[in-house]
Amino acid sequence: MPSNPAKLRVIWLQGITCNGNTHSFLNDPSLGSLLESVEFIHHPLLPCTKSLSELVKKLPKSDLLIFEGSYRADFERAGVPMENILLPLAVKAKHIIALGSCASFGGIFKEGDDRITGILFDKEEMGGPLRDLSKKVIVLSGCPIHPKWLSFVMEMIIQGIKIGVDEYHRPKELYSYLVHNGCLRNEYFEWKVDSERFGTKEGCLFYAQGCQGPFTHGSCNKILWNEVSSKTRAGAPCVGCTEPSFPKRELFSTKTYMSIPAEMPLGVPKRSYLALAGAAKSFHIKRLEGKLIDDNA
Amino acid sequence: MITHELIERIEGEAVLDFKTAKSGVVEHADIRFLHFRGMESILEGRNALDALVIAPRVCGICGHSHLIAAVRMIENAYIDAGFSLTITPKAQAIREITLNCELIQNHLKWLYLVMLHESGKLLAEEPPVALKALYVTSQVNQLCALFSGQWPHSSYALPGGVTCDPTHIEVMQALKLLSEVEQFVAKEVLGCPLEKFELHLKSDSHRVLEGDFSTLLNHFERLNLLDAGKTHGRFLVLGSQSAILSNGEIRNADADLVSEDSSQTFAQGGNTYAKNALYNGDFYESGPLARALIGEREGITALYQQYSDSAQTRLCARMDETVKLISDVRYLLKNLDLSQPSFVTPTAIEYISGTGIGIIEAPRGSLIHRARIEKGKIVSYSIITPTQWNLGSGSPTNLGVAQRAMIGVESIAKASLIFRTFDVCSVCTTH
Repeated sequence: MPSNPAKLRVIWLQGITCNGNTHSFLNDPSLGSLLESVEFIHHPLLPCTKSLSELVKKLPKSDLLIFEGSYRADFERAGVPMENILLPLAVKAKHIIALGSCASFGGIFKEGDDRITGILFDKEEMGGPLRDLSKKVIVLSGCPIHPKWLSFVMEMIIQGIKIGVDEYHRPKELYSYLVHNGCLRNEYFEWKVDSERFGTKEGCLFYAQGCQGPFTHGSCNKILWNEVSSKTRAGAPCVGCTEPSFPKRELFSTKTYMSIPAEMPLGVPKRSYLALAGAAKSFHIKRLEGKLIDDNA
Repeated sequence: MITHELIERIEGEAVLDFKTAKSGVVEHADIRFLHFRGMESILEGRNALDALVIAPRVCGICGHSHLIAAVRMIENAYIDAGFSLTITPKAQAIREITLNCELIQNHLKWLYLVMLHESGKLLAEEPPVALKALYVTSQVNQLCALFSGQWPHSSYALPGGVTCDPTHIEVMQALKLLSEVEQFVAKEVLGCPLEKFELHLKSDSHRVLEGDFSTLLNHFERLNLLDAGKTHGRFLVLGSQSAILSNGEIRNADADLVSEDSSQTFAQGGNTYAKNALYNGDFYESGPLARALIGEREGITALYQQYSDSAQTRLCARMDETVKLISDVRYLLKNLDLSQPSFVTPTAIEYISGTGIGIIEAPRGSLIHRARIEKGKIVSYSIITPTQWNLGSGSPTNLGVAQRAMIGVESIAKASLIFRTFDVCSVCTTH
């Protein structure tokens, strides 16, 4: 490795967005050391060499183009339609990251305007404007993206590590895990003990409170949010924000069929689930029926 | 001369159309926001609880404010429908802690990423290193996440309370983080202990402190802008309190007098997506300065008497509020009674038909969520964001707050800096 390697030249471009990924990224406490090997040609908030107006005029080449927000061809930045900004920048970029679920699949804003898509995918279909450049697009879904997931992928690009991706172009090392993996309520899931109400440490949120953790890809409970927590650790259900189907409806209740969750844990056949659930429920594990921290015990 | 100026390095982008005299002095400025996302129509037809996931996505920097406004709106609809709810003092306090965290991180980012950077640029000075502040804002957000699970875009507040059930361990971690944040603010930002800052404002000795905030004031002084930026002198707070200040008098406010004016929007032949928010037909300033004056904070009240609603007073108000919020969070953490329930299950949302309004004080001012709910489903949803108060664009005879503040400033570049003292957020304005 050369002693003074060239910095990764990055363009951070925003489509239709709430800026949530920008602010999530700023939460990485190791941002300082990452930025030592990065030079932003453009970034909406961090120091960079080109303003937005300059960027859309020059459309420079880059090592990495990060696109945050959803895409609509006629959506303008600095007075220029997105189709005339994104495509030229993408052709001239070595790597491209679709950052957040809007850029990945269309996300929340697609709900209000069907012309909106992600840059590579349109929901589950590869129907975004960069489909012909799909080989160099990495999808980092999540609403917002976890700052570390982005930092890790940027480091991998800097170090030239080959990034294996799944069917939606998401890095396998981040998205092969389910949000369920590492959830503190796993034991309640195993023994089919549901959470009677919100605001407690006990019970699994999959049975009644709408938790999508068992079928949502993401390392939320492996690489914690803000270094300390996650939705399920704070007692809130996973809303499936890394998947192309986000946002579904009725997000705080579980759709059931014959009192069994309608959507099964990923890869588990319904018959296997029923057999196991029947067996698990037939045991009454006293410890799991009481308070986790019982001051009177 | 007419000049169109693109304002970047805010949340989103805005365009200012300046009319200037030959000397360059600003005679008029129209404010335009060009990005529209239709959040309200996305909410309509959904289960009301889904608003707790969708509404935070209005804004990446103040999404938590939208969550708390949405949950209050739903709780208000329960009351309207004749159902009672219990929110324990613990749940109330935890919501207040996390909301205050959002304001603190916002104010620090505004200081370092926007104001110091942009004012330094006008003086051709190397912008200060923002990274040290970003580490601290990540700590503030970590404190928030100890309760909310994550920041941004948590959905941990539901009608009936909060989903988390913290132990003393989370509270201790939170207090430790808060101490570190406080040390940074004292040492790097203010250049004095937090409890001394208000006294400095009161005795007008804040400009001689040695911290990054006084560097900002120094930039403004050298740009001859400390005394610029005066506007209508009308202020409004609808969240934490409900009061207005005009003609030097504080009076109770009535949320029914709030209206939206869309006469300048594209839909009506205009050239912006932003609707103006009005109180009793007039533009009012909302945000930290309004909260300090109506909350009768001593330092800011004294500054206001001396310097009126100038840039100096407005800048100081945001820092004074940061100091107050840190002390409020400490008090709330120390007095949290963990033995109370976090959540008391209310009647199922499907039984609720009614109208709800939720008003809170967000980083930039009063945020209003209003909705009509039928059998638990959202029939109509309406959001008024703080920036609609401050950054409204009126006619030359009825100027918006920031519009008025920019008139008479000696150049476009300087007027744009005055515009930023209001803490611009385009994504909220055109939700």
